[in-house]
Amino acid sequence: MAEVKVKLQPPDADPVEIENRIIELCHQFPHGITDQVIQNEMPHIEAQQRAVAINRLLSMGQLDLLRSNTGLLYRIKDSQNAGPVSFFLSKMKGSDNQEKLVYQIIEDAGNKGIWSRDIRYKSNLPLTEINKILKNLESKKLIKAVKSVAASKKKVYMLYNLQPDRSVTGGAWYSDQDFESEFVEVLNQQCFKFLQTKAETARESKQNPMIQRNSSFASSHEVWKYICELGISKVELSMEDIETILNTLIYDGKVEMTIIAAKEGTVGSVDGHMKLYRAVNPIIPPTGLVRTPCGLCPVFDDCHEGGEISPSNCIYMTEWLEF
Amino acid sequence: MTQAEIKLCSLLLQEHFGEIVEKIGVHLIRTGSQPLRVIAHDTRTSPDQVKKALCVLIQHNLVTYQVHKRGTVEYEAQCSRLLRMLRYPRYIYTAKTLYSDTGELLVEELLLNGKMTMSALVKRVADRLTETMEDGKTMDYAEVSSTFVRLADTHFVQRCPLVSPTENSEPGPPQPAPTLVINENDMYLVPKLSLIGKGKRRRSSEDDATGEPKAKRLKHSTDNKEPIPDDGIYWQANLDRFHQHFRDQAIVSAVANRMDQTSSEIVRTMLRMSEITTPSGAPFTQPLSSNEIFRSLPTGYNISKQVLDQYLTLLADDPLEFVGKSGDSGGGMYVINLHKVLGSLATATLESVVQERFGSRCARIFRLVLQKKHLEQKQVEDFAMIPAKEAKDMLYKMLSENFILLQEIPKTPDHAPSRTFYLYTVNILSAARMLLHRCYKSVANLIERRQFETKENKRLLEKSQRVEAIIASMQATGAEEAQLQEIEEMITAPERQQIETLKRNVNKLDASEIQVDETIFLLESYIESNTKRQ
Repeated sequence: MAEVKVKLQPPDADPVEIENRIIELCHQFPHGITDQVIQNEMPHIEAQQRAVAINRLLSMGQLDLLRSNTGLLYRIKDSQNAGPVSFFLSKMKGSDNQEKLVYQIIEDAGNKGIWSRDIRYKSNLPLTEINKILKNLESKKLIKAVKSVAASKKKVYMLYNLQPDRSVTGGAWYSDQDFESEFVEVLNQQCFKFLQTKAETARESKQNPMIQRNSSFASSHEVWKYICELGISKVELSMEDIETILNTLIYDGKVEMTIIAAKEGTVGSVDGHMKLYRAVNPIIPPTGLVRTPCGLCPVFDDCHEGGEISPSNCIYMTEWLEF
Repeated sequence: MTQAEIKLCSLLLQEHFGEIVEKIGVHLIRTGSQPLRVIAHDTRTSPDQVKKALCVLIQHNLVTYQVHKRGTVEYEAQCSRLLRMLRYPRYIYTAKTLYSDTGELLVEELLLNGKMTMSALVKRVADRLTETMEDGKTMDYAEVSSTFVRLADTHFVQRCPLVSPTENSEPGPPQPAPTLVINENDMYLVPKLSLIGKGKRRRSSEDDATGEPKAKRLKHSTDNKEPIPDDGIYWQANLDRFHQHFRDQAIVSAVANRMDQTSSEIVRTMLRMSEITTPSGAPFTQPLSSNEIFRSLPTGYNISKQVLDQYLTLLADDPLEFVGKSGDSGGGMYVINLHKVLGSLATATLESVVQERFGSRCARIFRLVLQKKHLEQKQVEDFAMIPAKEAKDMLYKMLSENFILLQEIPKTPDHAPSRTFYLYTVNILSAARMLLHRCYKSVANLIERRQFETKENKRLLEKSQRVEAIIASMQATGAEEAQLQEIEEMITAPERQQIETLKRNVNKLDASEIQVDETIFLLESYIESNTKRQ
C-alpha cells in the first residue's frame, strides 16, 4: 500500500497572513530583520512561501532590502517615503522595474540633477534602454531636462517639480544661459559710486583720522541694502552676490577690503566677522612707459633701425608728435 | 648685456662723448675686460686714441681698471653706470629742488666733468652764477662752498678713492697702475679750505676777433695763483644717494595717493630721519620711536601727539603694509618696509602697463591672478565676472605677451592634456625684467627718433643759427632797426613754423625719455632688491 504523504497545511499559511506577520515583525525591529528572525518567528512556514511573501512586500514597496555584513536585512519603509511612492506607484503601475530604477536614481540626485551617462553607470543599463526610459518618463511629466550653464551641451535630468540648483543655472547672473555682462557692469559701477561718495564724505568731515577712516568703510550688508533699495535689479540679489561684485571691484584695484571681528548679533555679520570695503586711489599714476608710443606699440618686436618699421618712420610717433 | 642695453649705451656715449669713445665703449661692453693692446687691435684704432678715450671714460667712472697677476692691466666697462647717463637731468633737478640754483650748478658741473677738486668746482660754479646775475653783482666763493659742504654732509657728493699712500714707499718696480683706496670715514670729509674770492664775469666786450690775447691773459692769471691746496682730493656725485632720494619720493607720493597729505608728511619725516643711518640695500629702515618722530616733524605741522599716534597706527594697519610696528618702547617703534614698498610699486607699474595696453578688463584678470596666485580657466571667469569667451581671449593675449604664465599639473604620468590641470600664474620678477628690457628699447627708439628729426631739419637749423649770429654781431656793432628787420626776414614764416615744430618735437621726445626713465628706475630698484635678498 502506497503511503500518501499528506502535507500538513499549517493553519495560518495564508499568504496575506504571512505578509502581515512579517510587517508586524518589521515594526517591532525598526532597524531591520534578517531572514533568520522571520524563520524563528514562523517556523512552520516553508522557505518558498517566505520568499514569495517577502518578494510581494518588496514589489509593493513596503519593505526595503538592505545588505548588512551578516546577510540580508528587511526593513519597513518609512511612512514618509510611502507617500510619494504610492503616488508614484499609482502612476507607474504599468512600467517595468527598469524605469523605477532610473526614476530612483534621478530622485536621489536631488536638485543638482544627473547626467545621462551617470545614470547609465549607476543602473548598468545599456544606452538605448536608458534613452527610451528617459523619453518615457519625460512624456509622463515625471522628470525634466535642464541645460547646464557650465557645459552648454550637457543636459542634466531632475524631478519635474524641483527647482534647479544655482550651480546649474548660474544663479542671478545668468538669464537663460546667457551671462548678463551689462547687468554686472551696472552693479559694478553703482557699488563703486556708493563707496566713493562714502569715502569722500568721510574725508571732508575733517575729524581725527581714526574716525575718518572708520567712517569711510562700508560693510557688505550696507552695500547690499543700498543696491536693493536702488531697485535696478529685477532678480532678488543675496549678500553673497553683492560680495562677488565687490570682489570684482577689488580686482579692478578701486576698492580694498578688510575683515573685522564682529559680535554674532550685529547686522550683516557672518560667523562672527564682517567684511568692510573702502574706495581707494591707485598708488602710482600711469607709468612713464605707457605715455610713449613705444609702450603701447603692437609691432614693437619688429621695430629696428633700417627696417620696414623703425623709429625714424614710425607712424605712431608721427601722430603722437602732432598732438 | 642685452642687445637693447648695448644699443642704448652706444647712443648715449655718442651723444655725450663722440664717435671714438663710443666705439671703444661699446667694444668694452660687448667683450668684457680687455687690456689696452687688444682693444686697439680689435677696434682698429691707434693706441693713442684708445688711451685718450679710456681716459675720458675712466674720468667719468664708466670704465674701471684692474691689475692682474701677470702685470697686465685690464679695462672693464660698467654697463649699469653707463645707463645712468640717461638720468643726469633728474639728478640735477633734484639738486635744484633741494639746494636751489647753486646746488643745481654744482651737481651739473660734477656730472659733466666726472671728477673734480672742490676748489676748481667752486670757482667754476661761482663764475657761472656771476654771469647770470645782474651787472655789478658777483657770487661769493663762500656761499658756493657752504652749499658744497651741505651737499657733502647729506652724502650727495663723495670723495673719489685716492692713490694709497703706502705705494710710493715700496721698493721694487713701480706698479703699472695705481690701486685706489678710500676710507669709509673719509668719504664725506670736506677739506678745510679757505676759498676767498668772487666769481669772475666773462665780459663779452673783451671778446676779440682772435681768442689769442684772452687765452694768454687767462694763462697768465692762473700762473699767478698758488698751487691748489686740495690737490689730489677729487669729488664725484654719489648716485646711490640720489637713488635713495628718488625712492623716498616714490614712497611718499604713494602714501599720499592712498591716504592723505598728513600721513605722507609723517612718512617723509621718518624717511628723512633714516636717510643716513640706513644702508642703501636694507629691507627695513632703522626702528624709529614715536617720540622721535614727533620731535622731528616739520615745524609747520602742529598736530598733537595723540593724533600722530593715531596716524601711525593707521599706517601700520593699512593693507599696503608700508609701515610696520616693531615694538612698543618709546611710544611705539615703527619701521618702513622698504622691500615691500618696492614690490608694491613694481606691481603697480605692471598693472598700469597691462591696463593701458590691453584694457581695464584685462587688468582685472591680471590683478585677480596676481592676488590668487594660481587659477584655472573656469575660476578666472567666475571670479572676474567676465563672459567665458572674452576671458579666454584676454588670457591668451596676455600669455602671448608673457605677462601671465601657464603652469601644468599632470594628473597622470603621461601628461595627457585632457587629464592635466592648467593653472595661470604671474611671476612678478620675470615680468618686471621683461618690461625693463622693453623700456630700454623704447628709450633707444626715442633717442633715435630725436636724432632723426634733428638731422632732417639740419639745413634749416644751421640757417637759423647763422641768422642769429649775424643779428647778434650787428646788434653789438650798433646797426639800425631796418637792417635787423631785413636779416630777420631771411627766415620765412613757414620755415619759422617748421623750426618751432621741431623744437616742440625734440622737447617732447626728451621729456618722454625722462618719463620712461622713471619706470626704469622703479623696475631696476625692485629687481635689485629682490636679487640681493636671494
